[in-house]
Amino acid sequence: MKYTNSKLSILFFLPAGLFMGVFLLYPLFLLVKDSLFTYNLLDPAAKQFVGLTNYVSALTSERFLQSTWNTVIYIVGAVGTEFVLGLLLALLLNTGFRGSQSIRTLLLAPLMLAPLVSGLIWKFMLNDQFGVINWGLYKLGILSDPHQVLWLSDSKYALLSTIIADVWLTTPFMMLVLLAGLQGIPKGLYEASQIDGANKWQTFRYVTLPSLAPVAIVAVLIRMIDAARTFDIVWVLTKGGPGFSSEVLSTYMYKMLTRYGQVGEASAMAVIFIVLLLALSSFFISKIWSPSHEKK
Amino acid sequence: MSNYPVAETNRQMKPNQSFHLQLKKRTWKVFIILLTCFLALLFLGPYIYLLLTSLKPSSEAVSSPPTLWPSKFTFESYIGMFEYLPIGKYFVNSLVAAVASTALSVFLGALGAYGLSRFSSKIGNVFLLFTLSIRMVPMISIAIPMYMIIQNIGLIDTKLALILVYTSINVPFAIWLMIGFFDSIPKEFDEAARVDGCSRFGAFMKVILPISLPGLATTSIFTFMLAWNDFLFALLMTSTEAKTATVGISEFLTAYNLDLGPMTAAAVSFSLPVMIFSFFVQRYIVSGMTLGAVKE
Repeated sequence: MKYTNSKLSILFFLPAGLFMGVFLLYPLFLLVKDSLFTYNLLDPAAKQFVGLTNYVSALTSERFLQSTWNTVIYIVGAVGTEFVLGLLLALLLNTGFRGSQSIRTLLLAPLMLAPLVSGLIWKFMLNDQFGVINWGLYKLGILSDPHQVLWLSDSKYALLSTIIADVWLTTPFMMLVLLAGLQGIPKGLYEASQIDGANKWQTFRYVTLPSLAPVAIVAVLIRMIDAARTFDIVWVLTKGGPGFSSEVLSTYMYKMLTRYGQVGEASAMAVIFIVLLLALSSFFISKIWSPSHEKK
Repeated sequence: MSNYPVAETNRQMKPNQSFHLQLKKRTWKVFIILLTCFLALLFLGPYIYLLLTSLKPSSEAVSSPPTLWPSKFTFESYIGMFEYLPIGKYFVNSLVAAVASTALSVFLGALGAYGLSRFSSKIGNVFLLFTLSIRMVPMISIAIPMYMIIQNIGLIDTKLALILVYTSINVPFAIWLMIGFFDSIPKEFDEAARVDGCSRFGAFMKVILPISLPGLATTSIFTFMLAWNDFLFALLMTSTEAKTATVGISEFLTAYNLDLGPMTAAAVSFSLPVMIFSFFVQRYIVSGMTLGAVKE
């Protein structure tokens, strides 16, 4: 043989590897480097090494901490709701009544929708003048005035509105993955629990939930990473406003870069963001590996 | 139950009891179906509302109180959207960037995945680990240095910039998806092709790629969706010439705040074809979506 296996492996991987090196690895390196400089887009000549100053000013900036906190609320609120709704839908569809297949298919279509479109739809529906949500709540007698709740321009509701748009867009994904997980549970487990005389709740608690756990954790992890880096929905709905009430990390970084041209500080925040996200993911991944390894 | 005189009562009770049980089961089933339909409607409703709004006379889209059903169906908004913005050009830009980056990333990804799948080596595992971890990096952080690079090589506001960016983001994802498909193809296929006189590359092109068409299709759908739906990179890196449909649609909100009819028409034109398409290829979507979370 002319080539060894590892040389062949590299040869096939080389084009993709080069691409990733130039457009992913090198940018990551640039990111870390830029975070150590004062670097203003408007005046690139005045670049100066400042060490960890950018990190200190990011971590002590109230706006950064507020955005981080909003991002956490966004993740917990959106992914938590999606999980509950997705699990409910998956359990309902898993009963396999006639027509459940068509409903599943219908619910698949919105999965291909752009987050931007979800933002637009909800911007439209949550509008306090002609939005259908306020009118609906008014007709149901929940609101006394159809213009009462300023979903997008009241700092109390702005972040909630963005969460609603996210939940609407991605619950079908959660449902699909959980449904696949449910259908992968061996039928024998249910028969065994029936023979043991378990009731519906016990079966769910001691058979369904533990068997579903590995799949559920991966689904939640994927969604958490996506929710953490959400940009489109928030940008279209509120642009982080009013004030900074719905500012998440990605919109803040975007503004830092485009409005203020502060590459150095934006980069420092991005590095902190990556570290936080990697820590979160590795925590979850360690959770996944241990149970699945025990089983095998 | 056990203190009934078994032989006698059972015969009398059974029809009655099973009738009750059946009734209970049927009520439960009806409840499940109704609840599922209600939830499904909740998730499909907003999109249907968008669709209906785009078919209303443009002024009716922002009427207060809002109407659910159009007073008359018209394509006014669909004609109107071309008058406000060069939306046709934006759609072409989106399509070019999405198709070109999909072709490039799927080819590079398949090649790389084949290398990693067939000739496992230590270096290969390092590559794979890198490929996986890059998926966790938040887009906005990578967007900052990518923007600098694209600016430095003078490609800001070109379709080529978008193609390069989308390809580099999609290559790791393509590798991740394709490895699973290649692993499931027995090595005997490669060996047979080699015996017939193919080179390693020839075996990959002539034998392996054709039989992994379902995998290529799945990967293509997802890479296409990512590029087609992207808003952040297009917003950051394009201004006039290479502006994509997502950025164009979002501009309806800022520039023509009172005439939202054309915006809904543009959003529908942007998303409906893809949703209909995804409806027909749902088999591939399900396998792709669940691949990451539900293994084996």
